[in-house]
Amino acid sequence: MRIKLLTAALAVAALGGASLEALAQAKPDVLVKQRQAAMTLQGKYLGPIGAMMKGAAPYNADIVARNATFLENLSRMPWDGFDPSTQGEKSKARADIYKEPAKFKAAYELLEAETAKLGAAARAMNEAGVRASFGGVAKACGSCHDAFREK
Amino acid sequence: MQSGETPVKVWDAPVRVFHWLLVLLFAFQIFSANVKGDWMVWHMRSGYAILALVLFRILWGFAGSSSARFAGFLAGPSASLGFVKKLLTRAPAPYPSHNPLGGWMVLALLLALLFQVGTGLFANDDILIEGPLFNLVSKATSDQLTSWHYWNVNLLLLLVAVHVIAVGYHAVVMKENLIGAMFTGVKHMPASAAGSMAARLASPWLALVLFAVAALAVFLVVKRIFI
Repeated sequence: MRIKLLTAALAVAALGGASLEALAQAKPDVLVKQRQAAMTLQGKYLGPIGAMMKGAAPYNADIVARNATFLENLSRMPWDGFDPSTQGEKSKARADIYKEPAKFKAAYELLEAETAKLGAAARAMNEAGVRASFGGVAKACGSCHDAFREK
Repeated sequence: MQSGETPVKVWDAPVRVFHWLLVLLFAFQIFSANVKGDWMVWHMRSGYAILALVLFRILWGFAGSSSARFAGFLAGPSASLGFVKKLLTRAPAPYPSHNPLGGWMVLALLLALLFQVGTGLFANDDILIEGPLFNLVSKATSDQLTSWHYWNVNLLLLLVAVHVIAVGYHAVVMKENLIGAMFTGVKHMPASAAGSMAARLASPWLALVLFAVAALAVFLVVKRIFI
């Protein structure tokens, strides 16, 4: 009886602690889903600008301004989803993200800076500026994938 | 050349040009895949060229010179095993084409290259670069093929390394200059056997026609004409 009570008390204490944690932070699988959603949407808004840069689609300054602004915001969203609690989840994220957090931070801050440049040029309807800054965005995506994403 | 040896023409020009173009393009693929960026446009074009070369080599393996034909150089298991045994005694006779192990290596390299180019056609980098056939499959399928495209590089590099080491072994241990033969087309054979060993060479014009067929096929695939 005493042991049962003790177990129950421990269980309540543990649950209390766990629920506080849960309030503070999303579940790991949700975090992975959210960060992947932010990444997927970056692809959605980068693609059309890329097609225009390659000449596969006619340049449309309005679409570029809208997409680049979305990108600028989206490029800030995934990173707090790379929480150490997500390391057991199935994803292409490499463990190096958590082993070299400073390098990871530098990689995503580079993307944030490049998308800010692109966004500013796009909203100013500055096509030459968009063309000049687009490569930097694509490069920032690629170098971070090379370093921190499973092939 | 040692005394008692006589030069025999074994490699026709199409095989030699194929081989060295492939070497250059393969090196370029490794380079361009690593620097990425603007080089990826050329990585893809170079991949198309490799596909055309490999398709040509497969056609040439059926219709080309006797030394280029698969039927001539793909030895059965017992012949291959016999060659390995002779190899251990360090005294196998020179072959007027690929030796049994070399023949299987040629097939392995061609198949691995075909797999590499084939997966590349459907690949994507999740950013901006898509193979010309990306739109024929789902994103998930493309991602799987892209993974294989990455991993098959390791197999290709391993095959190339074994190939180069084997040729080096021929040069250093067996004193057989295979690299020179791939440039000149000529191997030095024991005089006694040389007469029966000369390759029956197919017309280089046939090679040109077959290459044109291969290149046209690649063009149709890449431009997605009919598909």
